[in-house]
Amino acid sequence: MNSMPSDSASMSFVDRVVVPGDHVLDLTGMANQTIKLGAGLRQDGDAISVMKAGKLRISKPNKYWVESSHKRYVPCVEDTVLGIVVDSKFDNFLVDIKAPMLGLLPVLAFEGGTRRNIPKFEIGTLLYVRVVKANNTMNPELSCMDETGKAAEFGPLKDGYMFETSTGLARMLLSSPPCPILEALGKSLSYEIAIGLNGRVWVNAASPSTVILVSNAIMNSEFLSAAQQKIMVEKLMKRLQ
Amino acid sequence: MEQRLANTWQMTVNERKFIEMALAADLRVDDRGPFDYRPCTITFGRHFSFTNRVGGSSEVQLGETRVMSYVTSQLVQPYRDRPNEGTLSIFTEFSPMADPAFEAGRPGEFAIELGRIVDRGLRESGAVDMESLCVVVGKLVWSIRVDLHILDNGGNLIDAANIAALASLLTFRRPECTLGGDDNHELIIHDIEDREPLPLIIHHLPVAVTFAVFGEGNIMVIDPSYKEESVMGGRMTITMNSNGDICAVQKAGIGISSSVIIRCLEICAVKAAEITSKINHAMESFNDGRSIQYPNFHPVDVAIQDNLPDVIMDKKQIENLIGHLAALPLDALDRNSNKSGAVVVGTNTRAKFENNQARDGVPFYSPSNWDPYPRKLCSRLARSSLKLSGLPEDVEEDKVNTTQSVTVECGLEHTKGASSSRALETPSEYTTVEATSQYIKAPKTLKDAVKIQNRKMRK
Repeated sequence: MNSMPSDSASMSFVDRVVVPGDHVLDLTGMANQTIKLGAGLRQDGDAISVMKAGKLRISKPNKYWVESSHKRYVPCVEDTVLGIVVDSKFDNFLVDIKAPMLGLLPVLAFEGGTRRNIPKFEIGTLLYVRVVKANNTMNPELSCMDETGKAAEFGPLKDGYMFETSTGLARMLLSSPPCPILEALGKSLSYEIAIGLNGRVWVNAASPSTVILVSNAIMNSEFLSAAQQKIMVEKLMKRLQ
Repeated sequence: MEQRLANTWQMTVNERKFIEMALAADLRVDDRGPFDYRPCTITFGRHFSFTNRVGGSSEVQLGETRVMSYVTSQLVQPYRDRPNEGTLSIFTEFSPMADPAFEAGRPGEFAIELGRIVDRGLRESGAVDMESLCVVVGKLVWSIRVDLHILDNGGNLIDAANIAALASLLTFRRPECTLGGDDNHELIIHDIEDREPLPLIIHHLPVAVTFAVFGEGNIMVIDPSYKEESVMGGRMTITMNSNGDICAVQKAGIGISSSVIIRCLEICAVKAAEITSKINHAMESFNDGRSIQYPNFHPVDVAIQDNLPDVIMDKKQIENLIGHLAALPLDALDRNSNKSGAVVVGTNTRAKFENNQARDGVPFYSPSNWDPYPRKLCSRLARSSLKLSGLPEDVEEDKVNTTQSVTVECGLEHTKGASSSRALETPSEYTTVEATSQYIKAPKTLKDAVKIQNRKMRK
C-alpha cells in the first residue's frame, strides 16, 4: 500500500513555527493510516493539535513532532549530554545536566568498571555522558558507556572551555550534514568540540585565542542563516590575519 | 539539599583553569580587551506623565547585568546634629530572579556592601547637595531615598548600580515648597501642576569602576563578567569623578601591590570620564524628549539661583580659553577643596584636559565644577584665564543677593541678562553676566539656609 501523500494542510505547517492550539493535520481524509506523533503533538478527535511552541518537523513517511529551543533541558533516553559532577555518593555520582533534577551516574557505569577501580572525580569535573533512564518522577540515570559496554568517547573531558547555549543551537550543531559554522571554522582552524543536547558545548584547541574565537563564533551564530554564518567566519578569519 | 544542589550554578574545573590561563595571556573569554567595558545602555522610566513629572527612575543594562534604580522623596525631621541638611539613603533589593544564589528576605553581605559603596560615593564626596534640601531648619528637610533593584546578575553589579543611581538622581524632581500663609509659618508644598518641580543639586558624578584581580595580584581586568567574578581572587572598586577626584576606594580579596593600584587609578580616570559622558548623553536625549513632550517644562538650567555669575562666550573664545588652560600649570587653577578632602591625581587631570580639548565644540569643564548642560562657562574659570592672559578684570560680587550683575572687562560679546536685577552701570563694551548657574560655591552656614526661604518668598 503506497503511503498517501501528506495532507495539504500539514504540508503548509511543516518546517514552520507553530504555537499551542494550532491544528496541523486533519484526519478525516486519512483512514487506515498510521501516523506517529512525537513531542508536542496530540490527537484532538479528528485533528492533530500542537501543545508546544516550536517548528513542526516531519520524518518521512509518517513521523511528526515539534522542535523547540529552551535554556532548560528535559532529559530523554539515549541523549548524549555534558554533565558537571556535583557530589559523589557511595554508589552514584550526582551530576548536574541542566535538568529539573540531578542525574545519577552509577559508579560502575564505566568500561571495565569494578568496585576496585572507581574513578575519582572532583567536584566540577565535566563529563560526557549518555542518558539511560529518564522520566519526570525520578532522577535521570546516566552512563559513561554505550549500549554495548564500550567507553566510546564518554567520560571526563580535560582542559578546554565550556559554555552554555540553548538546546536549539545544540541540536543545530549536531545536525548532519555538518552545521555551516562548524565547517567554516574547521576549514581554517583546528579544534576539538563536544556538544551536549542539554545545551552545553565544550571546545578545546591548541591556543586559548582559538578557543575563544570558536566559542564566541558559535554563540553568535544561533540566529544566523547558513550564508550569514559563513560570512561571519570569513570576517573573523580576516581579523586574525 | 539535593534540590538546592540542582538549582545552584556550577563552575567546571575546565572553565576555571581556562579563564586563568587566558588572562595570563591577556585574553578575555568574551573577546574583550582587559580594560573594555561591556556595552552599556541607560534608559529612563516612563513615570513621566503630565500629572506625575517627578521622573527619578532609570534602568541600566551593562552586558547581561541589569539594575533598576528608583528615587523618591519625603519630608522628615532632620538629624539633631545636622538640622539644616537633608538626608540621602540607599536601599538595595537583591531579587532571587537575578541569581539563584540570592535569597529573598534580608540582604546578604554583598547586598549590604554594594549599598554601602554606592552610598559612600554619593554622600561622602558631597555629590548631592544636602543643604538645599532643607525646608525649615531643625524641623523639616527632604529625605531622598534611592532604591536599587538588581534584575539580572551578569557580573559587576556595583558599577551598574552606581550608574543607575546617578542617572535616576539626575532625572529626579522634587516638589517646590514655600512658606506662606498669614505668618509665613505655613508650609505649602506646591502641586506639580502649579509650580515646576525642582531637580536635585548635584555637584559632580562619582562613577564606580570595578577591577577584578587574578593570579598573584598582578592581573587586573575591568568590568568582570559573571564567570570572571567566580574565578577572581579579589576585587577593587574605585569611585572617581570626571575631574580626577577619587571619591572612594573599596577593596576585597587578595593583596594588590601599590604600583598596580596607581596604575588602576590612572585607568579609572579615563573610564570615569567616558562613563560620565555616556550618562550626560543619555540625560540630554531624555531631557530633549521631555521638553518636546511638555513644552512648558524647562530643563535644569533655569532652576536654582546661585551666587556666582556665568560668563557667556562664543565658540572661538572658548577654544582660545581651552588653549590657555591646557598650557597652564595645574595649581594655577582654582581648586575648591572638597569636603571629603579628595586627593587629586595630577597626571590624570592633565590627560583629561587634553581629552576635552580634542572634542570639538564641547566647552571646557572647570576643575571643581560639573555642569550637565555646559553652554556657559564658570566665571571663576574665565576670571583665572583672564588673569593669565593679562587682561584687566573688574569683578564685583555680592554673595548674598540672588540676581546680580557682574561686569567683566574683556573683549567678550555683549549679552543681556534674562531677568532684571540691580544692574550696575555697564558701558556697552562690557559684558553683563547673569547669575543663573547651578552650583553653590561659598561655604554654607545656617544663615544661608534661612535666606533660601526668604528668596523664594520674594518671588
